[in-house]
Amino acid sequence: MAGPRVALFVTCLVDMFRPSVGFATVKLLTGAGCTVEVPAAQTCCGQPAWNSGDRESAKAVARGVIAAFEGYDHVVVPSGSCAATIVRDYGEMFRDDGEWQARARELAGRTHEITSFLTDVLKVKTVCQAVAGSATYHDSCSGLRSLGVSAQPRQLLASVEGLDLREMEDPDVCCGFGGLFCVKYPDISNVMVSDKTRDIAGTGADMVLAGDLGCLMNMAGKARREGRTFQARHVVEVLAGDMQTPAIGESE
Amino acid sequence: MSHSSPTTPAFRANVRAALDNTNLQAALRGQRGNFVRKRAAAREALPEFDALRDHARDIKNHTLANLDRYLEIYEKNVTESGGTVHWAETAEDARRIVLEICQSVGAKTVNKGKTMISEECGINDHLQANGITPVETDLGEYIIQLRGEAPSHILAPAIHVTVAEVEAAFRQFHDDLDPARDLSDIASLQVEARGRLRAKYFEAEVGITGANLLIAETGQSVIVTNEGNGDLSQSLPKVHIVMASLEKVVPTLEDASTVLRVLARSATGQEAAVYTTFSKGPRRAGDPDGPEQYHVVLLDNGRSGMLGTEFEEMLRCIRCGACMNHCPVYQAVGGHAYGWVYPGPMGAVLTPGLIGVEQGGQLPNASTFCGRCEAVCPMRIPLPKMMRNWREREFEKKLTPKAMRSGLGLWAWFARRPWAYRTGTRVANRVLKTLGKKGSFSSLPLAGGWTDHRDFPAPQSGGTFMDQWKAVRR
Amino acid sequence: MSGRRNILERVRRAAAVHRGDGTGADAVAERLRDRPAPVVPQQARTVGQGRVTQFLTKLEAADATVGRVSDIAELPKAIARELRKRNLPAVVRMGKDDIFQGLDWGSIEASVGVGRVEEPVTLSRAEYGLAETGTLVLVSGPENPVTLTFLGETHFVVLRESDLRSGFEDLWADFRARGLDPRTVNLVTGPSRSGDIGQTLQLGAHGPMALHVFLLD
Repeated sequence: MAGPRVALFVTCLVDMFRPSVGFATVKLLTGAGCTVEVPAAQTCCGQPAWNSGDRESAKAVARGVIAAFEGYDHVVVPSGSCAATIVRDYGEMFRDDGEWQARARELAGRTHEITSFLTDVLKVKTVCQAVAGSATYHDSCSGLRSLGVSAQPRQLLASVEGLDLREMEDPDVCCGFGGLFCVKYPDISNVMVSDKTRDIAGTGADMVLAGDLGCLMNMAGKARREGRTFQARHVVEVLAGDMQTPAIGESE
Repeated sequence: MSHSSPTTPAFRANVRAALDNTNLQAALRGQRGNFVRKRAAAREALPEFDALRDHARDIKNHTLANLDRYLEIYEKNVTESGGTVHWAETAEDARRIVLEICQSVGAKTVNKGKTMISEECGINDHLQANGITPVETDLGEYIIQLRGEAPSHILAPAIHVTVAEVEAAFRQFHDDLDPARDLSDIASLQVEARGRLRAKYFEAEVGITGANLLIAETGQSVIVTNEGNGDLSQSLPKVHIVMASLEKVVPTLEDASTVLRVLARSATGQEAAVYTTFSKGPRRAGDPDGPEQYHVVLLDNGRSGMLGTEFEEMLRCIRCGACMNHCPVYQAVGGHAYGWVYPGPMGAVLTPGLIGVEQGGQLPNASTFCGRCEAVCPMRIPLPKMMRNWREREFEKKLTPKAMRSGLGLWAWFARRPWAYRTGTRVANRVLKTLGKKGSFSSLPLAGGWTDHRDFPAPQSGGTFMDQWKAVRR
Repeated sequence: MSGRRNILERVRRAAAVHRGDGTGADAVAERLRDRPAPVVPQQARTVGQGRVTQFLTKLEAADATVGRVSDIAELPKAIARELRKRNLPAVVRMGKDDIFQGLDWGSIEASVGVGRVEEPVTLSRAEYGLAETGTLVLVSGPENPVTLTFLGETHFVVLRESDLRSGFEDLWADFRARGLDPRTVNLVTGPSRSGDIGQTLQLGAHGPMALHVFLLD
């Protein structure tokens, strides 16, 4: 029996900065029996325009996404933030356009964040990987509060042999990235990310893991500036056993 | 002391000042997580909490959809009990009405329970300009009134003031007391303020309070406090003035009870506040105490303009403060940076609604949309969504900065054309990779907002994911 | 009066978005008649001994103290004991409530009237107790000055056990059944407090520093 036909929505940041996250996602999906395709017409989910109040641009970009991902059993995203834009925001975006709203809702119904897809849809309970070291997991906001991603990554991480998972204080508090927020309000963002790196360091873990590259680049960049020693990695890298790739912000 | 002229347009400068204020930062850091833990425990202890939130939301939705009728019923019941309802379209109307009432009884001193509506209307300045002394009686409000400040939190107005600063203010303003007295602990400070204010309660001719709720079926106003100052302010003077905005009305006592059940828990984690007082009309025949006159100033000041729009849901707000207690932006900068009466996420949505998006537009932009406010709001107000709506209004009015508008336009042009987008990301990827050989940048042209505070991670080698994928699939 | 007209006109126009034309009046009348309360927490539905126990537990959780009195005639002695225990002067200020009539106060200087600027000890009768939150329900009237509740440094409150109610719903039902419609209803849950200085909770902000309940069998 052939597994589900899954389209990967790779996201702008993974595409441009950290392709290894895309490949780790493919590896996890293939390992779980999926047939993975990467629609060539994909670009961005439209969130930058949507969150900046530019509804028309956001809709124009979203129409492209809706068309590009038509017909797949599932659409899987290695980002809670981009997935939430499709799942939660597209319907609202097309509130005055019934036809596109219906298509948007249809896409929303089969779009998933990666760890939630593995756990909630494919019922994967464990990954067969061994990673020696300690990690702490940061709950990226959109994944946590819009999609309910919280237990899923932790459950999968708990199955990684040799991995010591530690909770930081306030893992569910925003790291201060917030897309354009971090450059629009750098001073506030800096306070937030400083609190976050302090809380991460407080666990003594070797690395911080999260499901969103934006948050990870923010935390990794701050940790490097502060001379902190923990690494930052996308959660799928650990789940797929890809630890050879240098951590985010490290030289190759 | 009042907020008649917002400094909200200077939000960025306000933020800088807040971050440089070491006392403020110490105060904010000192209470980190307190309210969050208390609310979480209260929620944990009440299995029906989330169902009550749904019900509270439904009550307010029903009331707002029929607000004209409930206001008329409320007014009728207040009038029948001997009270008077005054309708104030604007802050200026409210100032005029309050002053007229005070002058009609020859008031020299006016005691004030905590009321944000009075802040919104700039009542204190107006009274003072007309020779009447307003005395804030909430302990926190009293402290900031001495210091000549505005509240920085709708519930804990002096949350930004350290204990040492309170002592300094008391020594400066209570200068008739022995300078050598011991004020070294919090208890002694509170006792001193208590004694000071106790005398004031008996001097005032008028007491002004806010209202957490107005109840249509009974014509009652409700205040919720922990100190008891609101009750003393309204029971001892000849005249009680309630200042309330239109949307405070609920239909019945049962509806009020539902709101009360989520209010204190969301605010301070208490099951019930110490004092919840239902007031109806003036002193009756035979009553040994209570005010001889009971007035309600019903304030619109822009709220009716939010009704029936995408911002209507904001009118469900019951001012519990949970959103700001859980907001990482508020927790970083405190309330004064917001530049007007209402701080935090609720302020970021309400402020542009009341003073206009031209003046208040910074606030809904200063959010990461982390969603923690919406997650804890007892009235389930979708605060991030409404902040986004404000950004949309800004964009439509072309108030969004030009650089950002053209940047977005350019980005959208590419994002709609996959072939162009591919080329663009390929070029950007190579440039960043070539420049960022050490794994990350410590500075990057045009990205100062990022690199002033943190390194910028460079891309991995090997090109974009889409290019690599194409190559392996070939 | 134009303010009233203008506001109501604007509100009415906006409300039309929700209710089209004219259906609202029925919905409003219905709600005021039926007073739906679809969510009543378990803790507002206790009965019997469980109700008493919960009331006492919650009262104490709110930093109030409680003692039992088997007969109202015992009240002065019970108060005298509390005054001694708390090292307070032998005075008490109270209203004219029927329940206090004819009590023998012995050496306690008992006076009747409203609260004055300094009141070491005040005494009130609560009309009801709410087991839901350990709350006392006091109502104003000729017998019950409101100011006694807020001006006493120590506030004593007498509550008959039979006046305990489970939660808001049966409380308001009782108010309506009795036609009880006082100017002021004071719900009191513990002594006065503030966290405004240094975000540290201190009892006795403006109102009582201590609240003691005499639960009457």
